[in-house]
Amino acid sequence: MRIVFLVVLLAAAIFYTYVAFVDLNFLTHTGRPGPGFFPRSIGIAGITFTLWTLVSDLRNSERERSDPARWKDVVLLMALAISYAVMLRLFGGFIATVLFLGISLMILNRGQPVKNAMLTLLIPGGVYLLFDRVLNANMPPALFDLPI
Amino acid sequence: MDIFANLMMGLSVAITPINILYLLIGAFVGMIVGVIPGFGPSAGLAILLPVTFGMDPIAAIMMLSAIYYGAMYGGTITSILLNTPGESATVASTFDGFPLAKKGRAGPALVMQAAASFVGGTVGVILITILAPMFSQVSRNFGPPEYFLLAVMGMLTLLVMIGANWRLGVISALIGFALGTVGVDLETGQSRYTFGSAELIGGIYFIPIAIGLFGLGELFYAFYTGLHKTGTGGIVQYDKEERFWPTAHDWMSTRWTMVRGSILGFVVGVIPGAGATIASLMAYSTERSVSKHPEKFGTGEMAGLVAPETANNAASSGAMIPLLTLGIPGSASTAVLLSAFLLWGLRPGPLFMEQNPEFAWGLIASMYLGNMALLAISIFAIPLFVLMIKVPYRILGPSVVVVCALGTFSVNASFVETYIMFGAGIAGFFMRLYGFSPAALVLALVLGPLAEEALRQTMTISRGSFSIFIERTPSLWIIGVTIALVALLPLMNRLGKTSSGEAEKSGS
Repeated sequence: MRIVFLVVLLAAAIFYTYVAFVDLNFLTHTGRPGPGFFPRSIGIAGITFTLWTLVSDLRNSERERSDPARWKDVVLLMALAISYAVMLRLFGGFIATVLFLGISLMILNRGQPVKNAMLTLLIPGGVYLLFDRVLNANMPPALFDLPI
Repeated sequence: MDIFANLMMGLSVAITPINILYLLIGAFVGMIVGVIPGFGPSAGLAILLPVTFGMDPIAAIMMLSAIYYGAMYGGTITSILLNTPGESATVASTFDGFPLAKKGRAGPALVMQAAASFVGGTVGVILITILAPMFSQVSRNFGPPEYFLLAVMGMLTLLVMIGANWRLGVISALIGFALGTVGVDLETGQSRYTFGSAELIGGIYFIPIAIGLFGLGELFYAFYTGLHKTGTGGIVQYDKEERFWPTAHDWMSTRWTMVRGSILGFVVGVIPGAGATIASLMAYSTERSVSKHPEKFGTGEMAGLVAPETANNAASSGAMIPLLTLGIPGSASTAVLLSAFLLWGLRPGPLFMEQNPEFAWGLIASMYLGNMALLAISIFAIPLFVLMIKVPYRILGPSVVVVCALGTFSVNASFVETYIMFGAGIAGFFMRLYGFSPAALVLALVLGPLAEEALRQTMTISRGSFSIFIERTPSLWIIGVTIALVALLPLMNRLGKTSSGEAEKSGS
């Protein structure tokens, strides 16, 4: 997995450098560092160091012993977090939070339905009061009209 | 004395009911952040920064600063009671803190760590009071060449401290620099990496990246390590001990430890990139080497707890010097504080204390008050913090996701930034997992644009000649200091790590 991560980084570095060379000038018309000066330097350094690390890892690669169970929990949480991001856009801050907490606690904190139900209502309620009423901060609006 | 008059002025600004209230809230929240394993001051500051937007700037900065040094107080509670450091700067406190608790001396350990933190924090603030004006005077001679070199020094020292994984640190820093180039180039007006998006014209905002990396990223990593599955059965029951308060011998035997730790911690804290973690490890190592009974370290020696505790709080104060007087953050936490200053239109640097005396001295004065408040909270609110430790991660986790998402959205009402935050969280997890440095990324994101602007101004001044860096005396000094730090810091780093290894062996 680390090799994959490094390959993704390398691809990003190559793309970044490509745009720097194609779209951005290295020097201005007066001969001073232009908008491409830093990006080209960063891009070339990025490709160099990422390739160096990738080659070093490939040479020294020991088989990663990954425990599927560990990955399962973190992937689950990431999936829940991403679905929360989508729900925020669709349903707005309060309802998305209630849905997200309800589902997350049902999966992660099994066997305590009463506590989970209370937390599912108390936490969004508290957050809504804090952000919307006390701090007058922006809460994500829903895509369509909802009471909250 | 000018300093005394300024401090009195600062106290008059800081001591208002609303400012004191926010200071206390910040100190309390900071301790909670410190208590939760995996969440350090960087995460707490990044997540809570949006909450301060509606506040008065002085109150907001006082609260954020209180969160910053409050986290140092709180992080040790789990080090002592659970053998789990609340954040990296309290790792050294586990070496003798947990053994003390196992010996039935958790109460005295908790009180002594609070006292040590108070002494370190207060000495640090006294040294800021004296040295900050001096640093400001010196840095008034600084121009674009010096600012560029300071940014380079900050990054180099951080990368040097990373140690064996320095290549991954460099890659992390380059990612941060790359993110910092997104937006409109100020000199030419040309868009860079915006791909036609109106949201990206202003650049990638620091807050979503910091919240994602340090908030969500740490949370995902905690789930990966199974923290959400472990119970808190390992907590030492301090309330069943015979004696809660330290003995006279505890106080007398550690009085010079506190002095040494404070000064060492402050000096290390001033160095950009070094930070409280290195300060605490070095203080532990130093104390062990001057002790008449070094063999007792790692088995529950009170000096082994007091030294790192004093140092990490003094270092937190020391890190404010380059932030306030040069505008250069030396760590991820101070980078978040810098972004807070910039949000309120304040530019830390050589003229900061002169142009904003109420703000600067109000902040310094508030740190005296904050340390006093934290001393009281640390001792008397311990049962409450122990309750916090007992909240299972599987409940805390989703709550943190909610606070991160809504906090990010509240900054600019931008879904794009919220999605960037989630993306940064996933990237932060992988960075943490594979040995990259989120701190280097965040520091580069803040320092990169500053360095680029300074370099381009320098090239304009010098008409393209790099010799300007060796023609100016302040530049030569900075280059000299940077070379000295790059040469010495790896030794300091190795010394700290060797001592921690020996302590772990003797404690087992």
